[in-house]
Amino acid sequence: MVKLPPYLDRGDTIGIVCPAGYMAFEKAERCIQILQSWGFKVKIGNTLGGNSTNYFSGTDEERLADFQGMLDDEEVKAILCARGGYGIGRIIDQIRFKKFRKHPKWIIGYSDVTVLHAHIYSNYRISSLHAPMAAAFNDGENEYVQSIKLALTGSLARYETRPHHFNKIGKAKGELIGGNLALLAHLSGTSSDFKTKNRILFIEDIGEYLYNIDRMLYQLKRNGKFNKLAGLIIGGFSDGKDTERPFGITTDEIIQDVISDFEFPVAFGFPVSHERENYALKIGVKYTLDIDSETVTLKEH
Amino acid sequence: MNRKHFLDSILTLGTVPALRFAEGIAEEPTRVTTPKYLKSGDVIGITAPAGYINHNEIQPSILQMESWGFKTKIGLTIGKKDFTFGGTDLERANDFQQMLDDPSIDAIMCARGGYGMVRIIDRLNFNRFAQKPKWIIGFSDLTVLHSHLNRNYGIASIHSKMCNSFPDDWSKAEIIQVETINSIRQALSGETMKYMLDANQSNILGKAEGVLVGGNLKTLETLSGTKSDLNTAGKILFVEDTGEYLYSIDRMFWNMERSGKLAKLKALIVGGFKVKMDSEGEDFGRTVYDIVLEKVKKYDYPVCFDFPVGHQKNNFALKCGVKHRLEVKEDSVILREVSDVR
Repeated sequence: MVKLPPYLDRGDTIGIVCPAGYMAFEKAERCIQILQSWGFKVKIGNTLGGNSTNYFSGTDEERLADFQGMLDDEEVKAILCARGGYGIGRIIDQIRFKKFRKHPKWIIGYSDVTVLHAHIYSNYRISSLHAPMAAAFNDGENEYVQSIKLALTGSLARYETRPHHFNKIGKAKGELIGGNLALLAHLSGTSSDFKTKNRILFIEDIGEYLYNIDRMLYQLKRNGKFNKLAGLIIGGFSDGKDTERPFGITTDEIIQDVISDFEFPVAFGFPVSHERENYALKIGVKYTLDIDSETVTLKEH
Repeated sequence: MNRKHFLDSILTLGTVPALRFAEGIAEEPTRVTTPKYLKSGDVIGITAPAGYINHNEIQPSILQMESWGFKTKIGLTIGKKDFTFGGTDLERANDFQQMLDDPSIDAIMCARGGYGMVRIIDRLNFNRFAQKPKWIIGFSDLTVLHSHLNRNYGIASIHSKMCNSFPDDWSKAEIIQVETINSIRQALSGETMKYMLDANQSNILGKAEGVLVGGNLKTLETLSGTKSDLNTAGKILFVEDTGEYLYSIDRMFWNMERSGKLAKLKALIVGGFKVKMDSEGEDFGRTVYDIVLEKVKKYDYPVCFDFPVGHQKNNFALKCGVKHRLEVKEDSVILREVSDVR
């Protein structure tokens, strides 16, 4: 069983850091206000709106120190990564999880944060929260932003979505793992790689070439990630690109093609993505995925 | 248990983690199988296992290879088109399989790269090929083949330009084009390869000897963890790439490092990297040199930059899976094939 960090109460503190790309402070202001309106205190890390002039929110040392500080700060009950981008893979092997393992806390984010989710789940069997980040709060308190609060305060999620004509009907129960496809593929063969046996895998991505989506799925397939999978959830694949010579089929068709030999149930078009539709999902927690012709339900246990 | 048999038995498992496997083989004398070199009258098969190409586009390569005294045999995938691919997966796999098994074909040249080799690699049966290896030629997407052959069979192959890079008019071709295309003939004919280039100020000096492996960095990353994954321990690794953002190149080198591929190298050769410009305000702030050097600074093997291999004019033929000696000196870099292992 995966270890659940303690849920949050009113008055608890959420730390905000940027472990990867740069984010201006103003872009996170709305997020901070909303977190406070939920009754949480907010602790701002040095890497949010720092004085970095390049891609990253700070040097590797600065990003590591900020994240490590929040990880070890007993007052901080959850860490929200304000944005993804790229950069966690550069510092992951230097993060010390010793204190965190004894006193786990919720780590929140998606995209590049997939590295943290997979690493923590595979190595320490501790749950974390795949969920919208600071920029999502600028759209206001929609149900996806709300799902963060519900997840952090211990509500069991039950997400329902529309059927999709590519869905493979069926029911699966297992621990949930997943995130950004490019990062999941990239972690193959490293110490942050993850197992999928008897688990439910979800994937999403943005801005990838169709051929590259195909290639990454082949990597997962050839790594045996689909062999004993309980169920598969396909999130958004927004802003897909194509080569001058068209790939000829859509992302959904690519996915359908790669997994055609397997029996597990599959749900397409699930609201986990780089767009507005992005429900909070607890990595490592047991869920039931129920796909029938009318509806798709993902229910947390 | 006899050590050699032990190694053979783990080779067939395929799912053994790269590191454990790598540790085993590092102490072994290099096992290299070199296919028979070509002589006048030998046949080169041409096939399209990845992207599509038509008959006209391969004409210059046919004429040139025939002028070298070789015959050519055109596969059924030439002129086939399934969107971006040179035929369906089944058609491409069948064509390649036929070339692998046809005893009258002495070498296989992939007509072009693109994308698609990984979709058919697990459909191919290398049994007959492993008994009687032949040279397989290509680069870019065909890194899948080089890596797969090296990892699973220890059979050498040629990383070089393909049919789509032969000049239309040999008499008007630039000298570098002529030299690079000629290097394919030299490699195929069994000449001992030697490359000399100017020093780069970022190079890390030193000498090393080991089997040469490598290819397209992105392709190597997407093989990580699979049964085609490259084992780099005790070897000289070369990498090149094109059209990638700096952050992506950085991430790929981290994959190399975190999957244990940089730790036990004998040497690292960095070829051409055509970088995609960062978006405004998203300046990555590091060059390819910085990206590489920060990963390898804790190791003590030689590193050379701007080696003439990659998606560029100066892309010389390299024999993958063959022992080479690299000397990175203050004023020059020399890579030469070590011919005594044949």
